[in-house]
Amino acid sequence: MAKVELKNLTKKYGDVVAVQNMDLTIPHNEFLVLVGPSGCGKSTTLRMIAGLEEISGGEIYIGDQKVNEKDPKDRNVSMVFQNYALYPHMTVEENLGFSLKIAKVNPDEIETKVKDAVSILGLEDLRKRKPSQLSGGQRQRVAMGRAIVRRPDAFLFDEPLSNLDAKLRTQMRTEIKKLHQKLKTTVIYVTHDQVEAMTLADRIIIMKDGFIEQIGSPIEVFNNPVNVFVATFIGSPPMNIIACEINKSNDQIMIQLDKDIHVHCPEDKISKLANLKKVIVGIRAEDIVPIKNISNEQNTLWTFSKEIDLAEPLGTETQLFFKLQNQEIISRMYNPRPVDVGENINFQIEKNKIHFFDYETQKAI
Amino acid sequence: MKQIKKIGFWFLVLFLLILICLPGIWIFISAFRPNPEILAKPANWIPDRWTLHQFTQMFSINGYVSVPAFKYLMNSIIISSVSTVIAITIGMMGGYAFARFNFKGKNKIFLSLMLARAVPGISLSLPLFILFAKLGIINTSFGVILVYVAMNVPFTIWLTDGFFRQIPKEMSEVARTDGCTRFQAFWNVELPLAGPGIGAAAIFAFLLSWNEYALASIITRTVHSKTLPIGMMDYLDEFTINWAGMCAIAVVMIIPALILTFIVQKHLVSGLTFGGVKG
Repeated sequence: MAKVELKNLTKKYGDVVAVQNMDLTIPHNEFLVLVGPSGCGKSTTLRMIAGLEEISGGEIYIGDQKVNEKDPKDRNVSMVFQNYALYPHMTVEENLGFSLKIAKVNPDEIETKVKDAVSILGLEDLRKRKPSQLSGGQRQRVAMGRAIVRRPDAFLFDEPLSNLDAKLRTQMRTEIKKLHQKLKTTVIYVTHDQVEAMTLADRIIIMKDGFIEQIGSPIEVFNNPVNVFVATFIGSPPMNIIACEINKSNDQIMIQLDKDIHVHCPEDKISKLANLKKVIVGIRAEDIVPIKNISNEQNTLWTFSKEIDLAEPLGTETQLFFKLQNQEIISRMYNPRPVDVGENINFQIEKNKIHFFDYETQKAI
Repeated sequence: MKQIKKIGFWFLVLFLLILICLPGIWIFISAFRPNPEILAKPANWIPDRWTLHQFTQMFSINGYVSVPAFKYLMNSIIISSVSTVIAITIGMMGGYAFARFNFKGKNKIFLSLMLARAVPGISLSLPLFILFAKLGIINTSFGVILVYVAMNVPFTIWLTDGFFRQIPKEMSEVARTDGCTRFQAFWNVELPLAGPGIGAAAIFAFLLSWNEYALASIITRTVHSKTLPIGMMDYLDEFTINWAGMCAIAVVMIIPALILTFIVQKHLVSGLTFGGVKG
């Protein structure tokens, strides 16, 4: 029952900086997800909070206590590992009760707490089994149960679902979410899977090379990515990114999407784009809408037609692939109809759905 | 055709097996028959008369003592056990440190430990003798134990390091977030998991001490500290060799070693190959 606070947290391995000056406050009961590509420092951050990794600079507070120098055992946090890390020589029951036994809780109390955890996670029939006799999903559940029985101040999850198959992963994701709602504890969750991040998080932190790129609610980071990296990292398929030249002709600012495709710069961006030569345009696949006839609404829409390279029917939608500036672009066609390769299709994009990024700094404009 | 090949193969295996075991079998047979029969030509494979004479003499069952084998046996047991317990305790801690911690010069220290093993023990015999004589610990169990501990520690470190490495480090990490100190995590989680391996290492160290001859033959002088392998030489007189007695004492030596080897053979192979490929 506590908030977690990181102040200026830094981790260096020799000259290599893994985490750089991280400032973060995680309020009580928040589900925070750290997401980013491998080596971005997300796991290191988690391990520093747990006390398994020494910190090179800065401060960590759990509750109101500074825990920099404290051993993991004194921090009252529970960690769930990617490979479960169940004690192989103990039964499910013993695994769950181990932390209480170490804390010298009396056996009756251990029994009730273990019973609680077992019923929360639906492990009643497996109490006497050894970890080797459990399936992946069951092991994961025991690992979570072991974290639950302690009633820690914060749960730390280190990619807990990446060893499970796709179906089980979705199922366990839901369970983790439910568990959080039931237990009302601070959760810090590390993953490289942006779908997990989007579905679980109250707040997402996107990290890259030891820096926080963006913090926000899932919808915020999805709708308003601060830079190209976040834009392409969050969302599936990734946002289409096109580097375009800006042309000024007859007092109009035109953006060159492709060799023969010039579109008007949206009104509200004119002041910002007027002085630039190039700009990065980002459009989500679902915002590139295939249409029958090109509309004349040039004020609010970008429209063009393009030859299709590939069409992938997925049932509920068909993904259309084509090229702009030699970049592969994906469009999502809801209400799909059969599409032939080489077919010319008309597309429209609503101007207010378009993201602009500075060509040099890659930051959102 | 396939059948014949298979049978041929097994006959070859059997032949090699007998060839390898022959000296052992000969020792066993010879321990239970009178000396003259051992020297008979042509060799008499099945003894005409089986006898426990050598054993009863050795252990002075009928009041007559040929060689004080019981004393030697006790010396062997005490020296091997104590040196094993000490070596495995140190080795376990050392192995854990090498497997889990990073410290300055780690690889060099590990390498030098292994190099210490590469020195032929007998080459140290003279300096060891002089040193021990000056310290006044020649012909004491303590001296022999000291030598065996020094001999076994690098070995037990090497083996236990491999076994600890096999255990994912998350085991101790999760135990530590579960409220354990580093030592509690070691004691409650890592040690039980490495247990079979450490047991194997201990037995291996025990066997090395149990069978050691060269250094013991220099340090031990009298019945006070002689171990079984050295005691065996008591059957060597100026003009005669009591082959039957030697074989009998050899049997006494072999049996515990054989039992222990059977217990650990599985771990022995995994432990040795494991340490071997670790690099």
